[in-house]
Amino acid sequence: MTFCPVCGLKFDSGNHRLLADHFVDQSRSSDFRHVSWLNRNISKNRMKTDDLSVSLTNFYHISGGIGKWIINDFVRRFRGDNPHPFILAMQQYDPEVIRGYVVEHHHFLKQWIRSCSYVMAKTELEDVQSYELENIMTELHGYGDSEPSHHELLIRMGESLGLDRNSIISEKPLWQTAEAVKIWNDLAASGSWISTMAAMHSLELIANRDLSRYGARYPYFNPSILSDSRVPKEVKAFLREGYEADVSHSYVALDLVERHAGNGDVEEIQYAYLRSAGAFSDYLEARLERGVMLGNK
Amino acid sequence: MLCLETNNRNGCALCDATWGEYYREIDGDRMFFCCDICADIFENMVSEVKKRKGWKNIDHVDLDGNFSTGRQCTAKSGKDTFNFYFRTYSDGRMMKFEER
Repeated sequence: MTFCPVCGLKFDSGNHRLLADHFVDQSRSSDFRHVSWLNRNISKNRMKTDDLSVSLTNFYHISGGIGKWIINDFVRRFRGDNPHPFILAMQQYDPEVIRGYVVEHHHFLKQWIRSCSYVMAKTELEDVQSYELENIMTELHGYGDSEPSHHELLIRMGESLGLDRNSIISEKPLWQTAEAVKIWNDLAASGSWISTMAAMHSLELIANRDLSRYGARYPYFNPSILSDSRVPKEVKAFLREGYEADVSHSYVALDLVERHAGNGDVEEIQYAYLRSAGAFSDYLEARLERGVMLGNK
Repeated sequence: MLCLETNNRNGCALCDATWGEYYREIDGDRMFFCCDICADIFENMVSEVKKRKGWKNIDHVDLDGNFSTGRQCTAKSGKDTFNFYFRTYSDGRMMKFEER
């Protein structure tokens, strides 16, 4: 099955001509979401259906495995020549940006464990279940006082910058985060375990230190933050968790997806990844907007 | 007759894309945009420039940049020019607007 990467409309497998027809129709009605997807992913120049069909086939073409396809797209989208504004904002220490990060990321992590739970519930594969179980423990539960969860480190980071723990937890998400959480939940509830795994764990590439060999031009954050005396130790502790993680570990999930994916899974994996990446982009904007709302006190 | 122009001559007045078929009248000119969000962004930008400079109309805007980096611009009204940078959220609301 081929899916529209914007609205999820389904077409016969591999039928990029029908998908192109759909995009051309949506362009005629100037639908923002479809037009902006074409502008950012295919071309800013209008095409006829036949040419667009070829361009879409090229866009979805996989050489070197689905994992590599995802990594290349993710780098272009978030950390390439035109990086996401959140990545640009993290190239210097800005307490405002970090505060926004804390408040919105709380909601991300709550959905993260829901999505990982869907993966576990929908597969019999023990390597996948073990991976997700460990992931949930690390992200939300932790391993006692010596190894607090990422969620706990996030809250402590917010507290070190003047935010109140209860306020962080009770604050409602901005609309971009709420929409993104809904998309991630819908993908996990309705999709296969393998597409959900790809959709969620591809997002971990945002902090991957190894992506320069795939064309990444910017790190997730400026590493000088970790040695900056102005930066609270709690901020360093949170950022260091991802930064110092074993590079090989960051590819484990995509390796599992690659290993277990059959030919019939690939189109759904590409669709779920693209919807997830689109939601993630809006969610990263919410971190910036929340930071502005909280002010640089 | 006064006419607001941009350096984007092929397509959308904001981003130059040729997809879409959306038109909006801005300062009396019927302008082409690829979507309503680009029209919102452009209209907000024009309002902000006129408000800051006290101009009644803008003759020309040069825009350099894109959605992710934001846009460095030069607006002209008669002999006056104004250099500025702006960036919006994906729904078109202004994220940053500053003289640069």
